[in-house]
Amino acid sequence: MAVQLKESCGAKVTAVTFGPERAQDVLRRALAMGADEALHVVDEAPGREPAVTARVLAAALRMLGKLDLVLCGRQSGEWDDGQVPGLLAAELGWPYVPFVPRLAAAGDGFRLERESDLGVAVVQAPRGVVVSITNAQDNSPRLPKVRDIMLANRKPIRKVTPVELGVEDALQTSWVEVLDLFVPEVVSRCEFIEGDSGAEKAANLVKKLLERKVI
Amino acid sequence: MADAPTREVFWNIRHFWLLYVFFVPVLLSLVFGSWNLARRWRRGRPAERLDNWRERLRGLFRDAVAQEQLRAGDPGAGLFHVLVSVGFVLLFAGTVVVAIHHDLRVPIMQGWFYLIFQSLILDLFGLGAVIGLGIAIWRRYVRRLPRLTHGVWSDGFILGSLMAIMVTGFLVEGIRIVATGDPWAAWSPVGTATGRLLFAAGLRDANAQLLVHRTLWWLHMFLSFAFIAYIPFSKMMHMFTSPAAIFTRNLGNPGKLEPIDLEAMEEGRVLGVRTLTDFTWKDLLDLDACTECGRCQDVCPAYFVGKPLNPKRIILDMQRQMTQEMGRFPWEKGSGEARPIVGTSIDPEAIWSCTTCNACVEACPVEIEHVKKIIDLRRYLVMEEADFPETAQAALQGIEDRGHPFRGTEASRSDWYADLPYVRELSEVGQAEYLYFVGDAVAFNERAQKIARAMAKIMHAAGLDFAVLGGEESSSGDVARRIGNEYLFEMQARQNIETFSRYGVKKIVTTDPHVYHTLRNEYPDYGGRYEVIHHSQLILRLLEEGRLRLAPGALEKVTYHDPCYLGRHNGEYDAPRRVLDALGGERIELARSRERSFCCGAGGGRYFMDDPPGKRINVARAREIAASGAETVCTACPYCLLMLEDGLAAVAAETGGRAVAARDLAELVAEALVAEARDEEALAGGVSS
Amino acid sequence: MQVIVLVWGGGAPTAAARELLGAARRLADATGGFVTAAAMGAAAGAAKALIALGADKVLTLGHETLAQPDGEAYAVAAETACKHVGDGLVLVPGDRLGWEIAPRLAHRLGAGLVTDALELNVEDGRLVAVKPVYGGKARAKMAVRTPSQVVLVRARTQTPAEPDPSRTGVVESLDFSPPPPRVRVVEYRQADAAGAVRLEDAKVVVSGGRGLGGPEPFADLAELARLLGGAVGASLAAVDAGWAPPHMQVGQTGKSVSPDLYIAVGISGASQHIAGMSGSKTIVAINKDPEAPIFRVAHFGVVADYREVLPALIEEVRRIKG
Repeated sequence: MAVQLKESCGAKVTAVTFGPERAQDVLRRALAMGADEALHVVDEAPGREPAVTARVLAAALRMLGKLDLVLCGRQSGEWDDGQVPGLLAAELGWPYVPFVPRLAAAGDGFRLERESDLGVAVVQAPRGVVVSITNAQDNSPRLPKVRDIMLANRKPIRKVTPVELGVEDALQTSWVEVLDLFVPEVVSRCEFIEGDSGAEKAANLVKKLLERKVI
Repeated sequence: MADAPTREVFWNIRHFWLLYVFFVPVLLSLVFGSWNLARRWRRGRPAERLDNWRERLRGLFRDAVAQEQLRAGDPGAGLFHVLVSVGFVLLFAGTVVVAIHHDLRVPIMQGWFYLIFQSLILDLFGLGAVIGLGIAIWRRYVRRLPRLTHGVWSDGFILGSLMAIMVTGFLVEGIRIVATGDPWAAWSPVGTATGRLLFAAGLRDANAQLLVHRTLWWLHMFLSFAFIAYIPFSKMMHMFTSPAAIFTRNLGNPGKLEPIDLEAMEEGRVLGVRTLTDFTWKDLLDLDACTECGRCQDVCPAYFVGKPLNPKRIILDMQRQMTQEMGRFPWEKGSGEARPIVGTSIDPEAIWSCTTCNACVEACPVEIEHVKKIIDLRRYLVMEEADFPETAQAALQGIEDRGHPFRGTEASRSDWYADLPYVRELSEVGQAEYLYFVGDAVAFNERAQKIARAMAKIMHAAGLDFAVLGGEESSSGDVARRIGNEYLFEMQARQNIETFSRYGVKKIVTTDPHVYHTLRNEYPDYGGRYEVIHHSQLILRLLEEGRLRLAPGALEKVTYHDPCYLGRHNGEYDAPRRVLDALGGERIELARSRERSFCCGAGGGRYFMDDPPGKRINVARAREIAASGAETVCTACPYCLLMLEDGLAAVAAETGGRAVAARDLAELVAEALVAEARDEEALAGGVSS
Repeated sequence: MQVIVLVWGGGAPTAAARELLGAARRLADATGGFVTAAAMGAAAGAAKALIALGADKVLTLGHETLAQPDGEAYAVAAETACKHVGDGLVLVPGDRLGWEIAPRLAHRLGAGLVTDALELNVEDGRLVAVKPVYGGKARAKMAVRTPSQVVLVRARTQTPAEPDPSRTGVVESLDFSPPPPRVRVVEYRQADAAGAVRLEDAKVVVSGGRGLGGPEPFADLAELARLLGGAVGASLAAVDAGWAPPHMQVGQTGKSVSPDLYIAVGISGASQHIAGMSGSKTIVAINKDPEAPIFRVAHFGVVADYREVLPALIEEVRRIKG
């Protein structure tokens, strides 16, 4: 999406991440896809809380100078929290628009399509907005060409630490604690629904599904 | 002197010196035309194909002189081609003899040599050539063999003029024999018969004989010279280019792909092949070596089911582009453009339809490498343009993200052995004699997991010291390489090799021929050298060593489907069959088996791509299997197993009968194992229902 | 434990409101606490009903900006209500508006936030929530350490409260001043294909295969999908036969789906189809062949001709949803 924006109105795209050394793969990929620069806030500790991440990222973004748009994924593939974009917007004091499948520059801001509980809404947002995106047909990540991947491997990535950003104290924050991590019991046996007639089987099936809170 | 057997050269021919005058432009045409072709090839990239010349000479003799592959593949074609080629070579030698005798004044054309070689042998082989041409004409114009290209005038011209040359030659000989009352006529039976025929037909007047003889002689000369001059500009060039291609053929594994030095990637040189000059000179030579015989087309599974891929057309269309861009006749420079091959001459759909089964390469009598060119074209599209089918993109993305190309699966690599205590991970035991490299296709497919369970049971029963990598195993990279992403393949190869090194792995056994092929033939390029064994080979060895005992008899009518990557690519046809035979039962041999085996359709990354209905290679093969009368088809590859099972189910649904069962060799062996009592429980835990 | 339930929607309590109040009441009763419902926007009209469902107190916040799901306005309203009540556990409905305002609310309250909670309990006097992680493969049990906690609760996970008309409570109206909106809604657009859900995103998928015998039964599948708020898929065999368009194909070479509920009708379960849907949370298979491979991956199986089962199934679902 950022690259599409870059192509349509000449934006400068910086990819930012907060995490350990190996997180730079993500930045390399972003560079290969067309990002202009990359900024890596290095921190080796695993599993930072969303509130911490948001504070650190906010500090990093402030360091980048004037920004018009912050694009985030909806939620991480690991903890599925979906909190960071909203918290980041709150830290920056910016408006936050989630569930955006499509956006374009329009007027002195951005025209966004967003999913809401009433359907799809088209909204106008000012410059200085945090957006978290969702899947759509036209924002599937474009496959980087191997040549671009190899060239991206040679580009420098700017590195900073939270200390340099002045948010070392944020790293001490611990608002949420993980008590346990477990894999739930998976029932792999198929339960065959009883019934004398098709109608009876259907009724029993619905009962089971209701019990499981699936419908 | 008059009694010495010989004949007068240029009898009845006046101004024969004209022959030498005309010969000059003909020779120029031949030489210059040939050089022109070679000039085109030299525009390709370098390739090491002149090494090991002894082996190459042997191959040349086998396939260009003895023409073994040509004869084996199609005896009828073999017959006519041997008759024509040998006949013409000998007749050419005869002409050389005349030149030596007459122009160089070395009197060899006399005596026994004259009688036996110059007269008898040439006459008989000359007749053979005529018969051969007749057969060729009949095959092309009467039988209209579908694999030949029809409607091209030059094919008719070639056959017609060759025939005319032969006929005029015999006529000339015949008249001379009759007109001169040749005392040695008996040594030229065909010529003599021709002469007598003409005499009987009315050519008795001496003057008439002389006139006709002279006319026909000059006609014969013109036709021959015109033909020779025409050679470099026609299909007849294959006389030189085909042996050249045979000589410079791939001496290594037919399915092994060559790595690209990615770090050395420069500006101006693309990854893979975009235009003709991105090919190696051998590839360009291949384009000119094609005789349009169409055997590749005949054996291509994609072509068989009606997909846009036709290996013959791939080669010829690129040849046509080469002619357009680089010229063929001396007076044309060619357009000088360098257009992208895919899009100009070849439809991308054709490129993506290929399963890399190598049937075309195997069938080609002049050793053209079709598959290598297709992969080179894929490499450019994938790595430089990122333009390839979405389904293939998803598979590659899977390898990058998850280490395997299968989607929609929540399984992990350790699922299949979660309840088998005798399957241990290298991370637990530190080292083992054999690493069982399971591969993605087996680990992530519920149906195929049974292969692993069966193999583990077998290895345990044989007391083998083996271990698996579990979660440390990553995709072998085969799928990435065949789709064309060398970068991803190299990453995968290096990653696995690094893991192997950490555990000091020396021997690897696998149940997947694609893994077998890649680890055995291609990993050495990246520093990974191991003894790689396919499970059929290991099982055979264990049986022969008496470490496994089987209770045969459960199988009735079984047939074996040769996986492409085990058979054609690596020459292993017998081990699985011998194991099957040890299981008892009646083993039926499919019509298309061994080197001629018909692909299941999954190779070349095709498992992950769409197939339009009615164009399913696996269904076509399933029909063949079902028609063979077998109740079970045994295979030795997880992809084949999955494809054939689906295909056989579809065929059964069509016909309404019961589906032929598809089983892997390991499954059949595991079921027939005779176990010691104390092992029963452990093994029972591993029996898959 | 003080529990605040955020309520929005229409004048009658929504399913989310009923579920959150059910949970709130349970948690408050276990700790001798108090339940406050913050009824925002049109939900203010449901104040009485909310008390019957378990709220001890209902704070109503009305303002014209709350007529639409304006994230900023609702965030301020929620913040106002929460600060009015004081430290406590805030339960937020897991709909799009909830996801939007929960982070901001948590930030403003200085509260730890747990999203997508499936279970809520009290352990050692503090709130413990269980949420799915790693794409749903695992669960994490989280405790929030801050004096206030915000929990975004997934829909259909809590036992809804039953209305008790004899309950009494207080209704109080709160003023609040929303900031001038920075993001303006230009228009609402109907989702593509007349409200149909995209196959890949659908929470429920009903798929048909060769066993359907023709294209017509797909209309019934569409009806069932519509009732369940889902999308219709097809197996490769059905697409090949021309009974369904290719974009509906689920499988190795089609779409990959992982809905909460996957109903496979007349699908045998070829490996390449299973590759496209095995990640589904609950799989129901209807097939007349008891040996069909689909039953190996299904959680519930109905061995019957779909013609005998499907109509009754549709009727039953219609009755439930009605």
